[in-house]
Amino acid sequence: MIIELVGIGHTMSVLDNLDKELLKAVADLEAIPKGAFNIRKNGELWGRESSANIEIASKANKAGIVITIKPNTRNESVHIPVILSQAGLYDVVENDFIVGANSNVVIIAGCGIHCGSKESRGHAGLHSFHLEENARVRYIEKHLAIGEGQGKRALNPTTRVKLEEGASLDMELTQLGGVDEALRINEVILEKGAALQMTERVMTEERQSATSKTVISLVGAGAHANMISRSVIRGDSLQTFSALMEALAPCLGHIECDAIIMDRGKNETIPSLKVLHPEAELTHEASIGKIADEQLMKLMSLGLSYEEAVSKIIQSFLK
Amino acid sequence: MLAIEGLRYSVDSNGSRRDIIPNLSYKFSKGKFYAITGPNGSGKTTLAKLIMGIYPASAGSITLAGVKITDMPIHERARAGIAYSFQHPARFKGITFRELIAIAANTNETTDILRLMKRVGICSFAHLNVPVDSKLSGGEIKKIELATTIARNPKIAIYDEPDTGIDLWTIEPMVKLLKNEQQTRGVTTVVVSHNRAFLEAADTVLIMREGSFFFAGTFSAALPYLNDISVCDYRTCGDRTYDECFR
Repeated sequence: MIIELVGIGHTMSVLDNLDKELLKAVADLEAIPKGAFNIRKNGELWGRESSANIEIASKANKAGIVITIKPNTRNESVHIPVILSQAGLYDVVENDFIVGANSNVVIIAGCGIHCGSKESRGHAGLHSFHLEENARVRYIEKHLAIGEGQGKRALNPTTRVKLEEGASLDMELTQLGGVDEALRINEVILEKGAALQMTERVMTEERQSATSKTVISLVGAGAHANMISRSVIRGDSLQTFSALMEALAPCLGHIECDAIIMDRGKNETIPSLKVLHPEAELTHEASIGKIADEQLMKLMSLGLSYEEAVSKIIQSFLK
Repeated sequence: MLAIEGLRYSVDSNGSRRDIIPNLSYKFSKGKFYAITGPNGSGKTTLAKLIMGIYPASAGSITLAGVKITDMPIHERARAGIAYSFQHPARFKGITFRELIAIAANTNETTDILRLMKRVGICSFAHLNVPVDSKLSGGEIKKIELATTIARNPKIAIYDEPDTGIDLWTIEPMVKLLKNEQQTRGVTTVVVSHNRAFLEAADTVLIMREGSFFFAGTFSAALPYLNDISVCDYRTCGDRTYDECFR
C-alpha cells in the first residue's frame, strides 16, 4: 500500500509504508509537520518548507542545509529527518543551525535506515549549532535501522555546538537499535552562563558496535553542563563511551554514565574530568553491570514475569 | 490461608550445609495480623523470602488457600495473591512512582491511581511522576514500597521491616494503615519488625530464634520473652558476658 503524504512545499513525491514507518520512529511524523521541515530521502531532498521565522536553504557546494532561526522566535519547531533505503548508498550531509538570540525552539532530527539486501548503507551527518545569546533549543535526534537484509547499516553523527552567553541546549540523542556500526562525536563549547543538558541513549545487540566520544568545554563563568549516558549492551555487541568535561572558568559540570550488560555484551566507559580553574566543580558517576536482582525481584513481586520485568527495566532505563 | 509444613532452607557454608530454617511448620489464619520478631540473624527475612519465592525452599511445602505454591516462581505467587514489601526497596532509573503503582494495581487509570494514593495516605500527587531512584530519601521510598504492596489487593501481605528509614511520627499512621487493610479488606498481614508498635497491633506475635518460632501468642504474653536478653543468640562475645555484648 502506498501512502501519500500531501503537503505544501516542493519536490513532494509519495512515501511508501517503510518510509512512513521510519519517519514515525525517528521523528514521530505521521503527516507533514506544522512549521519548518526538511525531509531527505536516499540522499535527495524529498520535501521542504520554511516558515516566517525559520529559513531552510541548501548549501551551495555540498550536501546539506543551513537553518537560520530569527532572533526572538518562540514556540516553533523544525523537523529535519533523513530516511535511507537505497542499497549501497552512504549519504553524507553537513547541516548548520544558526539560532537567533532569545529564541526558544525545538529541533527534531534523526535518521532511519531500511536494509533489505546484502549491500551496506549508511549516513553521516555533521550538525553544527550556533546558539546566540539566551537562545534555548531542545534538540531531539533518533537513529534506527530496520529490515531483514544482511548489509551493514552505519550511522556516524557528529555534533558540534557553540553556546553563547546565557544560551541553553537540551540534547536527546538516541540510537534505538538495528545499527551495526556507529561512531558518534559530540563537541560542545559553553560560554558565560550557558547551559547544556545532554542525554545519550544507545542500545546495541547481536554483533553491533557503537562508539561515542564527547568533549564538553566549559569556558565561561557560570556555565553548567550535565551529561547522562544510558547504554544497553545485548548479545555479543560492544559499546565504547568516552566523555571529557573540561572547566576553564568557575562553573559546574557532571557526567553520569550507566550501562546495563546483557548476554555477552562488552562495555568500556571512560568519564574524564579536567579542571583548569580553582573554582570549577566537576563530578562524575559511572556504573556498569547486569540488571540488579533486586529490581527484577521487585517487579516480579508485582506480578510481572521475568521477561516482562527485564523488558520494563530496559525500556524505562532508555526512556 | 497460608500453611507452612516442614520448611527447610539451607546454604553452603565452608563446604558443608548450614540450616537457616531447619524445620518450620506454621499455619497463618485468614485475615489475621501477625508480627514476626526475633534477634538479628534468626531467620525472619529468610522466612518471608521463602514464602514469596525469592529464596527456594530446600525441603518442605508452602500452601496458599489450598494450592501448593512451593515450586511457583515469584510472579506466579504474586498473581496467586501474595504481596511483598522489601526491607530495602529497589531503586530504578527511569521508572516513576506512577508506573510502579500502575503495574502493582494493574491499571493505568489516573482516577484509580489517585484513589490508591489517598488510600495509602500519600497526599502529595507531585510524587506521581518522580522516578523511583537514588534521589528519593529512605522514608520516601519506603512509603512507595508500602503503596505498591497495598495496591496489589493481596490475600496475604508480607512487610519486611516496614519502619526502616521511617520517622517516628509516621510509624503510628503506618500501623493504622496496615490494621485498616487487615480489618476492612480481610488481608492476612505478616509484619517482620523489631518495632513495638507493630507487635502491639498484632493478633499474634511470633518470636523467632535459630530459624524456628519458639513463641506464638499475644503481645502481652510475649512481653517476658521480649524483655529477656537471653533470647539473643549471641551468648558470648569474646571474654564478655552476653549482657555486655553490643552485637
